[in-house]
Amino acid sequence: MRSSRLLWAPSLAVYAFLYVPLAIVVLFSFNDSRLSAEWVGFTLDWYRKLATDDAMLAAARNSVLIALTAALVATVLGTMAGIAMHRYRIRGLTFLVLTPVAMPEILLGVSLLVFFIQVLNLTLGLVSVLIAHITFCIGFVAIIVRARLAGMDESIFEAARDLGATPWQSFRLVTLPLIMPAVTAGALMSFTLSIDDFVITFFTAGVGVSTLPLQIFTMIKVAVTPEVNAVSTLLMLVTLTLIVLASRVAPDALKGRT
Amino acid sequence: MAVPRAERLTKWLIAGPPLAFLLAFFLLPSLIMALASLRYPGEFGGLAPLAARAGEEGGLTLENYVLFFGDWIYAQIFAKSLGIAALTTFVCLVMAYPLALLIARSPKKRRDFMVLLVILPFASNFLVRVYAWMIILGPMDLLFTRFAVIVGMVYVHLPFMILPLYTNLEKHDPALLDAAQDLGANAWHTFWRVTFPLSLPGVFSGSALVFIPVLGMFAIPELLGGKGDWMVGNMIKEAFLGTRDWPFGSMLSLMLTLAVLAIAGAAALFARRGARDA
Amino acid sequence: MGALRALYGLALAALLAAFGAQAQQERLHVYNWNNYITEDTVARFEQACHCRLVQDYYADNEEMLAKLAAGAAGYDILVPTGDAVATLIRQGALRPLEPARLPNLANLKPEFLKPWFDPGNRYSVPYAYSVTLLGYNEQKMRELGIPTDTWAAIFEPKYLERLRGKVTVLDSQRELMAAALIYLGHPAYDTDPAHWRRARELILRAKPYWAAFNAASYIKELTVGNIWLAHGYSNDMHTARQDALKAGRKFTIGYSTPKEGAVFAVDNLVMHKSGRRPDLAYQFMNFLLEPESSAALSNAIGAGSPNAAAMHLIRPEIANNKAIFPGPEQLAQMQQLHELTRAERRLLNRMWIEIKVR
Repeated sequence: MRSSRLLWAPSLAVYAFLYVPLAIVVLFSFNDSRLSAEWVGFTLDWYRKLATDDAMLAAARNSVLIALTAALVATVLGTMAGIAMHRYRIRGLTFLVLTPVAMPEILLGVSLLVFFIQVLNLTLGLVSVLIAHITFCIGFVAIIVRARLAGMDESIFEAARDLGATPWQSFRLVTLPLIMPAVTAGALMSFTLSIDDFVITFFTAGVGVSTLPLQIFTMIKVAVTPEVNAVSTLLMLVTLTLIVLASRVAPDALKGRT
Repeated sequence: MAVPRAERLTKWLIAGPPLAFLLAFFLLPSLIMALASLRYPGEFGGLAPLAARAGEEGGLTLENYVLFFGDWIYAQIFAKSLGIAALTTFVCLVMAYPLALLIARSPKKRRDFMVLLVILPFASNFLVRVYAWMIILGPMDLLFTRFAVIVGMVYVHLPFMILPLYTNLEKHDPALLDAAQDLGANAWHTFWRVTFPLSLPGVFSGSALVFIPVLGMFAIPELLGGKGDWMVGNMIKEAFLGTRDWPFGSMLSLMLTLAVLAIAGAAALFARRGARDA
Repeated sequence: MGALRALYGLALAALLAAFGAQAQQERLHVYNWNNYITEDTVARFEQACHCRLVQDYYADNEEMLAKLAAGAAGYDILVPTGDAVATLIRQGALRPLEPARLPNLANLKPEFLKPWFDPGNRYSVPYAYSVTLLGYNEQKMRELGIPTDTWAAIFEPKYLERLRGKVTVLDSQRELMAAALIYLGHPAYDTDPAHWRRARELILRAKPYWAAFNAASYIKELTVGNIWLAHGYSNDMHTARQDALKAGRKFTIGYSTPKEGAVFAVDNLVMHKSGRRPDLAYQFMNFLLEPESSAALSNAIGAGSPNAAAMHLIRPEIANNKAIFPGPEQLAQMQQLHELTRAERRLLNRMWIEIKVR
């Protein structure tokens, strides 16, 4: 269409806007200078420094641990929620599931902080962060699973029931295999969201538990060195792989977010 | 009857666990926080006990709300945050629309790839995306300014506007556009009179997905903004982690929640009406 | 399906690796100010005790107290300033010390024993002291004609005009309020709400000219040249001066105690009740009381040392620096901060939000 040509210029500009800053971060992770101001020379020093940075390694370990566990639990609970939202009319379920996703993160972080300290008397640490992450990941998984169910043909379930399958059999042998791509996509999304989360983790981590985003934040505020660029590049590679995987496994799932 | 009972059991088996989890870790904390806004602050932060002990503060009080409504400065910060959120949403809309339109009109295969290209920057951590702008704006002397805050906000939230818009535009019937052209409308006219009104639900979805998170942000103003760019999120953060005046912070959070609910409600209303009129 | 299974396998492997990597070692957990133990001292201690030192940092006593109140546990050693020690003692959060296990106590200067916040040194051991003062780019201050021996430099618009955007102040309620009170002619530990209100107005009048409230990176900002004047601690300013010299900057960083007075702070080693290794903690405390350790800190960062046995090991230019080791005339102008009551703390909190927000 003729009008499409008009759209190319602004579109490319937006793509450039999206990618150039990230390219700069990656570029300067190889820069032989403490300041990310101008290119001096190529070096892998910053990556080497990363490998020996104890605090960073501990944070990375925590991040992976939390993300894996949170993704696991959130996927299970989120899938159940997605099925329930699609199949049953339970009052309040949709609200409870979707609101953590829609609300500004700071509200969730802060209310959990108050809850953990005041009610549960729980020392902030891995467990508090874990619970917080699961809470906001459930909604994402549920949305993806529900979208997939909405796009499916209901007659399959009726056929299964007519053939005498119990609800559990129907679930295990019919529903589950059909929604598996959505479930996997949900799991990958949860992992990505958890590993990248900053705001909620910021409030629920307390002292002693650091995750990669928290480390990056401290580094940015206190002493920025290209080590930040290096860890960012590596983190980008990991989540990039996951997102590409997710898009392969369930191409419609990510679009059906809204 | 055996079948309905099994059905009901299944229903609670499936819905029960997530429901329980969210009731415990989302609804309950929210209620606790609402209650916290009515209490006195503890000595080193946190909350004072509900039962007042001799010589100490305890029990319930409305003083946090009195403080909030009694001083203009807090409402000003809310107004400032709403303004920044509105500006960010507008800029996102203007930037996102051409791209969303292009994606919607592209052949299917290219479309998926283009969407992936929009989502990929998400692979970078949000802080990294902000840091990137610190590198770029620093030498330009634009760091720690309102401009930097807006740029950062737009950068982080742009995909949230692109995706809903594109999802909506993709569903438009090309026949409508042809009809408009046949009736003599030029490209601009077609866009303004046909495409845009039809896309309003997508516009409102995307706007809500940008406006609401921006309202609660604190990291971007803290890293990219100057002292005068404090938003509601910064105030809440300072209350909880700085002065540790939890009742005050809880009250602010409640105000923010109300604001968000009002906006979400309005967006939903407009989206429905927009869809009806179109 | 094969790809999915590979994915799950990978996930499991990562999980196991993450768990397995938790090395079980002897660890001493210390909650400390940033940059308050030299790397050298840490290394020497780790060798001597065959253990690992794990440090977490805070930038402000209030932050430390609040994090502890919020349930942070497992720290063996804390390094609070005097008024915070008083608070912790009152809360019953500290382990009483057994002097028999700290033979190096004998090294301390007598004037630091029996402090007001811990009579009899039952819970605390003095570690180092500092003065909160002004650090500055000497060349710039001369060029702009800014007097550096007075708090007016950060509070008076007539000077701030020339320094717009190049000044930082400490991101600490108590310290900033204290500086304002001192400039107005009141002692740093004054708690009169009317005086506090005047101090708040003074701060708000100066705030538009300040670049930021900064507790952590002002050393770097001064050294790099982004900031020309900073409100901070004497040891940090000393570090900035050394860094600038080492980096071969065209300017030098100077620091001086304002003539109106300043806050004098003694930081102490205490043992928190929730610490799991009191034995290592005693070893650590005794180790830090050795003359070498104390002198190392003074020589490295310019911290004041309460250790008499260490004095001869400290470089003369530091030992004779009145900003680091104030003499009796300077001390007469200085005050230590005292504990606040709950009501005072609340009032200060509310004022601090206002200061940040307006």
